[in-house]
Amino acid sequence: MGYVAARGGTEAIAAAEELVRRSRLNADASWLELDQLTERLRYLNDRVMGEGGLWAPQLAARAIRQAEGDVIEAAHLLRAHRSTLPRLCELIPADADELRPLRRIVPAFREVPGPQLLGRTLDYTGRLLDLGDEDQARAAAAAATAAAARHPEDDPAENAGATEPPFPERLLDVLRRTDLAVDRRRDDDPEPTDISQVAVRPGIGRSAVLSVMARAETGALVNLWYRNILGPDNHLHEVTLGEVRHGELPIRVRHPRTGNPVLLGHLRATEVEAIEDLDGADEDRTRFDVGYGLVAGHNERKAIAMANLDIALHRDHSDSGLEQSVLMTTDGLDASGFLEHLKLPHYVTFRSMIERKQAMRTDRARNERKGRRHHPAPVVTPAAEQAAVPAGEVTP
Amino acid sequence: MTLLDPTISPVALLAADTSSRELLDEFSKREIRRAVLTAVAVPGYQVPFASREMPVARGWGSGGLQITLALVGPEDTVKVIDQGEDAGVNAANLRRLIADTTGVDTTTVAGEATIVQTRHRVPEDALGDDQILVLQVPVPEPLRGVERDMTELRRMHAEGDYARMWVSLYEDLVRNGVITQTTGYPCLVGGRYVMATTPIPRWDIPKLHRSAHLSLFGAGREKRIYAVPPHTDVEPLTFDDVPFEVERTEGASCHRCGAGSPDSGVESFLVELPGTEGGRWVCSDTDWCNRRLSSGMVAR
Repeated sequence: MGYVAARGGTEAIAAAEELVRRSRLNADASWLELDQLTERLRYLNDRVMGEGGLWAPQLAARAIRQAEGDVIEAAHLLRAHRSTLPRLCELIPADADELRPLRRIVPAFREVPGPQLLGRTLDYTGRLLDLGDEDQARAAAAAATAAAARHPEDDPAENAGATEPPFPERLLDVLRRTDLAVDRRRDDDPEPTDISQVAVRPGIGRSAVLSVMARAETGALVNLWYRNILGPDNHLHEVTLGEVRHGELPIRVRHPRTGNPVLLGHLRATEVEAIEDLDGADEDRTRFDVGYGLVAGHNERKAIAMANLDIALHRDHSDSGLEQSVLMTTDGLDASGFLEHLKLPHYVTFRSMIERKQAMRTDRARNERKGRRHHPAPVVTPAAEQAAVPAGEVTP
Repeated sequence: MTLLDPTISPVALLAADTSSRELLDEFSKREIRRAVLTAVAVPGYQVPFASREMPVARGWGSGGLQITLALVGPEDTVKVIDQGEDAGVNAANLRRLIADTTGVDTTTVAGEATIVQTRHRVPEDALGDDQILVLQVPVPEPLRGVERDMTELRRMHAEGDYARMWVSLYEDLVRNGVITQTTGYPCLVGGRYVMATTPIPRWDIPKLHRSAHLSLFGAGREKRIYAVPPHTDVEPLTFDDVPFEVERTEGASCHRCGAGSPDSGVESFLVELPGTEGGRWVCSDTDWCNRRLSSGMVAR
């Protein structure tokens, strides 16, 4: 009898938690250390921080471990943790021109100001499953770690090709200089909206829309992009990418006593500029327009989708529903929380639904007795006829 | 703690009491209380609020939980039900969270609670003017079935333009012979705003109408709070010649306490226990049913 019989919900929950706890501790495998996640599963850790809206590599690793690798669950743990923390101060807005690139590509031109820097990427590595010997791999990893410890300055992992200031000029700067880009820098949204402190809805400023996308579920943004490119929505053009950068962004806060900027640390971010050739009747065909994407961590597909959606939203003027789709349907916690609530008991609502089905039948039978038909007769299949039972007795 | 105490760092001061197990800080509580006050002042109007991230999934009672946590004080006693049941897993989980993080007392008896948090039901016992009912709301927008655009929805509510809602009810009636809306039946509150009655059954709607208690509706995922203040009209939308119908099934009565049978003299909202040789019925409000049994009201 399902839920009705499930008395003692507290005991049942405690037992379920004990099962989870036991298999986490006693998984017939060695304990999962946090550095395994922060150093070896970087994309996973970055994604959880981005969707969790909190830059904290160690906490993200804890969340991933606790959530047994469920990305959205881990992002939820981070966000629920953050929402219990006090807000101590506001950061000084970071200037993306200060992002120290670890990787930078400009697909729009072969030769650009500054380098085309592949950096740490899997893009051009053949997708061949590594079936190498585990022991050899382990030995090679240990040797590499030992070598890196002896000569930390040679560590190729993070710093390969990393640029030093002054950082390369943006392609957008070149386009602006040559009067090829529409300038849509504006000053009517000066204070960035903190989306964790307001209920966003259509009509809210661009800073909020960008924040929503930066915190959105990666798959949701990619899907929204793709269904607009290929599917029926058709609110997007395919863009040319001006910049794809991954690098370290300095984070500063104003000193409470002196008022001077103080460096707190760095976070890694992915930045994308998407160049769009707008072709609307009221749009400037002699120039390009640009959409912007910036997300925490290394997550290029999310940043590209964001930049393309940003420019699409700009030209859309809130007409098509795309803005509502971005604002209201891309949050991973919202979508999966609501989807999974279907697992909760619904027997009150279901009883009410069955009652209406019976009410319709009663009404129909009454009308048929009176020889009246106020509404189209239903198509009754033999199976449905068999299923028809007197009111009050419903087969499961 | 004082600002002059040199042993306490400014950061610790700002961070306030880090030993607290509370899920909401005082600023968050204040914001929610303000939204609640606005909601009480404008019955049926959906007040936006920031909606904090809770340790329960969105869609699992995060809105109701935030209201309860913002209102609860040391003198309060909380009852939590899901489908009318205190022992359901979701009710148990939320009750545990509320009790563990606030230290508040809990009860299963509706009459003993100062705050009743619920999903999908209103208790069978009438609540008094010293009690608050907190309903968990999955979808706060009653007009979503006829309009999706949020800007247009705001206009419709602002102008009291519910024409399309009436048309959809009329079409339903013409097509199906009865109004087929099941739970979450749309109601006009205080003669002004159409409100989604969460998915509570139609059975429970008369219990909101001109009731002594305050009803607060929290939608955490959609970041809205709305309210039915005491003694406020809650009128289900229906036509003059089409009476509003609550859930009743002929011949059904609770197999435990007999509620619903002619000689019991009382009715309650029943849910079905399907069986191979015809279903049995049981009260959805388990505590109400248990009390009827233990008080000897029922001849067994």
